[in-house]
Amino acid sequence: MGRSQEQGQGQGPIHSIRLSTVGAARPTETGTTHEPTGLDLAMKLHYLKAAYIYSPETARDLTVRHMKDSMFMLFDQIAWTTGRFSRRDSGRPYIKCNDSGTRFVEGQCNLTVEEWLSQPDRSVDEFLVYHQPIGPELAISPLIYVQLTRFKCGGLGLGLSWANIIGDSFSLFYAFNFWTKAITGETIHAPPPSRGDRRFQSPNPTVKDPVSVKQVDPVGDLWVTPNNKKMATYCFNLSVADQISPHFPVNGINSIPVFEIIAGIIWKCVAKVRAEPEPVTVTIIKKDPNDLKPNNAIRNSQVISSVQVDFPVAEATVEELVRSMGEAKDERFGIEEIGGSCDGNLDFVVYGAKLTFVDLSGEDLYEARVMGKSPDSVYCNVEGVGEEGLVVVYAAAKSEERGVTVTLPEGEMEMVKLEFKKCGLIAP
Amino acid sequence: MPQAPMPELTSSVKLKYVKLGYQYLVNHFLSFLLIPIMAIGAVELLRMGPEEILNVWNSLEFDLVQVLCTSFFVIFISTVYFMSKPRTIYLVDYSCYKPPVTCRVPFATFMEHSRLILKDKPKSVEFQMRILERSGLGEETCLPPAIHYIPPTPTMDAARSEAQLVIFTAMDDLFKKTGLKPKDVDILIVNCSLFSPTPSLSAMVINKYKLRSNIKSVNLSGMGCSAGLISVDLARDLLQVHPNSNAIIVSTEIITPNYYQGNERAMLLPNCLFRMGAAAILMSNRRSDRWRAKYKLSHLVRTHRGADDKSFYCVYEQEDKEGHVGINLSKDLMAIAGEALKANITTIGPLVLPASEQLLFLLSLIGRKIFNPKLKPYIPDFKLAFEHFCIHAGGRAVIDELQKNLQLSGEHVEASRMTLHRFGNTSSSSLWYELSYIESKGRMRRGDRVWQIAFGSGFKCNSAVWKCNRTIKTPKDGPWSDCIDRYPVFIPEVVKL
Repeated sequence: MGRSQEQGQGQGPIHSIRLSTVGAARPTETGTTHEPTGLDLAMKLHYLKAAYIYSPETARDLTVRHMKDSMFMLFDQIAWTTGRFSRRDSGRPYIKCNDSGTRFVEGQCNLTVEEWLSQPDRSVDEFLVYHQPIGPELAISPLIYVQLTRFKCGGLGLGLSWANIIGDSFSLFYAFNFWTKAITGETIHAPPPSRGDRRFQSPNPTVKDPVSVKQVDPVGDLWVTPNNKKMATYCFNLSVADQISPHFPVNGINSIPVFEIIAGIIWKCVAKVRAEPEPVTVTIIKKDPNDLKPNNAIRNSQVISSVQVDFPVAEATVEELVRSMGEAKDERFGIEEIGGSCDGNLDFVVYGAKLTFVDLSGEDLYEARVMGKSPDSVYCNVEGVGEEGLVVVYAAAKSEERGVTVTLPEGEMEMVKLEFKKCGLIAP
Repeated sequence: MPQAPMPELTSSVKLKYVKLGYQYLVNHFLSFLLIPIMAIGAVELLRMGPEEILNVWNSLEFDLVQVLCTSFFVIFISTVYFMSKPRTIYLVDYSCYKPPVTCRVPFATFMEHSRLILKDKPKSVEFQMRILERSGLGEETCLPPAIHYIPPTPTMDAARSEAQLVIFTAMDDLFKKTGLKPKDVDILIVNCSLFSPTPSLSAMVINKYKLRSNIKSVNLSGMGCSAGLISVDLARDLLQVHPNSNAIIVSTEIITPNYYQGNERAMLLPNCLFRMGAAAILMSNRRSDRWRAKYKLSHLVRTHRGADDKSFYCVYEQEDKEGHVGINLSKDLMAIAGEALKANITTIGPLVLPASEQLLFLLSLIGRKIFNPKLKPYIPDFKLAFEHFCIHAGGRAVIDELQKNLQLSGEHVEASRMTLHRFGNTSSSSLWYELSYIESKGRMRRGDRVWQIAFGSGFKCNSAVWKCNRTIKTPKDGPWSDCIDRYPVFIPEVVKL
């Protein structure tokens, strides 16, 4: 069953919600600010979500107090993310680093971890992530929400909702791993955050009009993607050997580009459903292979590239699509320019401006060990997706599997799922 | 023009020397009188010569009975004197609670919570913001964990947890510092104004540290921010009665159950100022402690203005229209505090002021009563009586008012202002944070006199005078150990939020 994306989630099977605030231990100097780049501003209507579930054996003895105290150590490193947005006189948003803090949400669930994980559509994990958009009052809108859900058996669900304007998915994972190390009590040597240039190195400075970003009507101070259609989410697991390899001629088992194949298959399925017009352009978002430095680890450095084909997608083979994805054009420079234009007063959509595929499969999400144990399950998604839809591919618990979260307009979801069944992606 | 300022400068320097001369003369008047008498006596002796002196000596007929009676009389008088002298009360050491950084409440967080909780009352939010901007508090003051929730969750359990956290941490530190064993505590006084569970907080301490069954324990509640000095006074009286004993005083205010949940403006004020804190003090009358004790208690004066209705009602706990309980602070608070201070000074002045100031005050009083009622009243210079001042950090207005009334310099009130900035208004324990600040700055020398002034609901003004027993080395641990280098810090009139 797909789950509708609604704001203010965290209710449903979760009860006894309590809100509090955590922040940084050391005070930030008065007057400190953080200026978002053009690329940051282009992402402002999107929010990244991740939910990690830990078994009762790992988490039973962890107290809320300890989890909160460990968060203080995390935010000492990234105190600017605990600030609040404000606008300059020109209207350009910036972060006032006033140590306001992040919202910490506590909840209880009457199911055990086992019962929770037994549900086939993993998008139930949306309930583990408390989300509110930034706005309508910028000054009192936290940029990050953390939800701690205690299951009946003592297991723990940790959900993070993170405004994309402060950093990409890889930054979120970095911050979460830092937190788990603090919880476990490991001494962490974080690199001192440098205030240098936070921009990316782009090899393609010539792309001027990026197609992967779409300007939307002004949203004012409530940073929510204006969609006409209601979106739904569906999440499932894939086995590489059983469901991916058959679609691709095997040259060497290690060299198959798993993400591209999954993207290609799903692209075909969506194209079959969405006949007029076919989605001939898609956006691919991946980690920047040149971005290896951990300094300035919290920023938007993901590669946003665009793929355009000139043949009908529904009839194409997966190989053709995978090949064309290899020729994706990095559009970050253009997005940076357009995002910062008009003093950041314009509003854009990137995820879902065109059908978007996000590759998080290179990140070992199960390295986020608490007390030495990996999570039982990890879920990733994005809030505020545009109407063209989004597919997020990420590592699953078993290394030969992948987790896939699909967000599409409600009207298309059932038909696309039928196509998935036909391709063998999900069980009939 | 170089001529004009010169006469002024020379005249002010002349005035200073005149003042100094006058003070030396009056304060050491008896010594000055003694010099001529000794001179005359010496001249007489020299004139008489040794044989005449011997003759005078032999002519005095000493009867055995006379000698015995005289010596018996002398011994009797000196015994009565020593026995009736009050015991010296020592402050051996004290320990202040340092809240964890995870309880920190920056201004922005406080205002955000206020906006979310009082979303229907923007005027009340605006009021809180104005108070916070001018409060003199810093970004590192702490509130207990239960108050960090939106809305706060002040259960009795949470209040007890806060009490256990602050009191036990302070007491553990005190036991470690002084090497005292819990079994050796003779008197225990706990003062916490607004949280009074059953069994009492003093019973909670006795339970935790397994104190003796014949301990004399007292729990003071409802006595406001001046209860710390009331506890010291009580300890002093008990230590006069019980020889060879020690007393532990725990001063604290538990914030959790008293956070005002309504939206009346006058009652929102304490929320902005009161913060977590506690202090544990060890006092003793044992002779063996006189080498290691930090201070000796010289005087303690308590003034109660409760007989006056305006004073009685100026800090009043009541329910608002919606049934929320809070503390209503009247607008005349500063004026009433000023009057209470005057009453207190009138009593303590003669005890501590040097003779020079008292004479001047007497002359000015006579002048006003008899000659010219319009003469300005002479305000004695308390800076001559004390080296250090600890004014209860009740709020910026209190410190400003006292600085003006007592004509103190910025350095004298620095301890109070910096304590307000770093820890907020911690109620009865704030005096001990201020004393710790002075010690951490290395300013406390042997013989220095300290004046602690506390105000409290009722309306009360209590003051204590301590004399430093030994020069105190800068403490390595303590509430100021990690931040003393940053202080003193400039506190702007209005902080831009």
